[in-house]
Amino acid sequence: MSLLVVGTIPIGSGRVFAGPVERATDGALSIGGERCPVCQGTPAMLLAAEAVSRYLATPQPYALLGGDLGRGDGTRAVYDRLEEAVGESHARVIAFHYLQPIMALMRGAVESLESRTGLGELMLVADAGGMYAAKASGVASHFELMTPDVGEVGFLADPNVSHPAYAARHLLGGDGFDPADLARRAAETRGAARVLLIKGVTDRITVGGEVVASVDSPDVPALEAIGGTGDTITGLAAALIAAGVPTVEAAVCAARVNREAGRCLNARPYHRATDLVDQFPAALAEHVGSMDVLRVSRA
Amino acid sequence: MKLFRSKAKDHKEADDGLGLFLFDDVSAALKAEKALKSGGYDAKLVAPPANLRTGCDLAVALPRVEYPGAVRTLEAYHADFKEWADTQAGSAALADLVSAVDFGDWIMVRAANMKMTVEKSSGRIINTSGGGCPDIPYLNLELVGKTVWEAPPPRSLGFTLCGLMLDRAYRECKEYVERRGEA
Repeated sequence: MSLLVVGTIPIGSGRVFAGPVERATDGALSIGGERCPVCQGTPAMLLAAEAVSRYLATPQPYALLGGDLGRGDGTRAVYDRLEEAVGESHARVIAFHYLQPIMALMRGAVESLESRTGLGELMLVADAGGMYAAKASGVASHFELMTPDVGEVGFLADPNVSHPAYAARHLLGGDGFDPADLARRAAETRGAARVLLIKGVTDRITVGGEVVASVDSPDVPALEAIGGTGDTITGLAAALIAAGVPTVEAAVCAARVNREAGRCLNARPYHRATDLVDQFPAALAEHVGSMDVLRVSRA
Repeated sequence: MKLFRSKAKDHKEADDGLGLFLFDDVSAALKAEKALKSGGYDAKLVAPPANLRTGCDLAVALPRVEYPGAVRTLEAYHADFKEWADTQAGSAALADLVSAVDFGDWIMVRAANMKMTVEKSSGRIINTSGGGCPDIPYLNLELVGKTVWEAPPPRSLGFTLCGLMLDRAYRECKEYVERRGEA
């Protein structure tokens, strides 16, 4: 399987970048041979996915990114190119990431993908604005994996809101906050993917609203402050799924690798997501090397 | 460690007699709110009712009786709106839960799904995280490395609700650093 990542980069042109993802020896991100800014958001996710594909010697991820500063121009441009990119990339895993959460575009994209291939052949992953749009437009249950943090799982559980900025305060980490209960509520209201990786002090993996695994070590609190460390988890998980790892195992492995990389880095709040990505080869060797399914995948 | 309590809501969810200005995007709503406040109106940012939502959107509520004058104010400030809804039924207030984590030399403030971390001694913004709208990586590039006094408020650069929540975290960070400097 191959991975297609649909997202944006912080340039204000609406320009589209499409093609295989590579990381140059100087650390630069290249998409289809063109250099792109390296920062939090979809670039951080792509660097993590690229690290997995490099480690496992699986096909490199394919990116479809639009230049977007928040006006939605790049987002609209990538939805326009989505069908073409699915064909070019031969993707079987499609991850929707930093996108303007425009409900009609997401709903249309999922309907189009279903009519084209049947979602039985595709696995959809969402985080960030892609996740917001999927939930708000009522298509979240078509997704295989979402990776909310504790500030976002309450949004998935609240059927009345279209963005985390409106989630009720008791759903956003206040008194009585219970991510496992929120995951159940999100599943009951069809506001979530089949599998959730809820990022927090303890990372919880849920299937159909039930917690099936938790990851709480190593404990690296500074990761929460570093922009892009949630994006790297999503990139790790999506790339592992594209490599053939079952979704729950991929989510557990992604959570562990991200934490282990933070421990190797001795992460502090001022670090960058790229600092974390630089630790991934060692962290992947520590955690992925012990997974039988991946040894098969690498063979 | 929580250093902040959420502030009391200043928005009454069921005010009688309120209507809504609706917009094509968040930045237009922010511009209109600023214009109306400059004109002396008690305008509030709220979520539009569910049947009017498109995703990342925002509305401005104010008393219906003030609509004609408010429209003149918006025209004077060249602040466009899409339409006026004569009721605010079904609208919702923005989340106002703010908390903080103490990292020793640094403090991280969370506002809804957004986080900003500053160095306590200098007020320098050392990181931003969370969120998922496309202006968030842009704001990270524009803000990190500047002090809270040098940095433009995120709402002046951002276009989305995530940007607005980052602005909330920024204002708390700035208040924290200024209080600490006075102590």
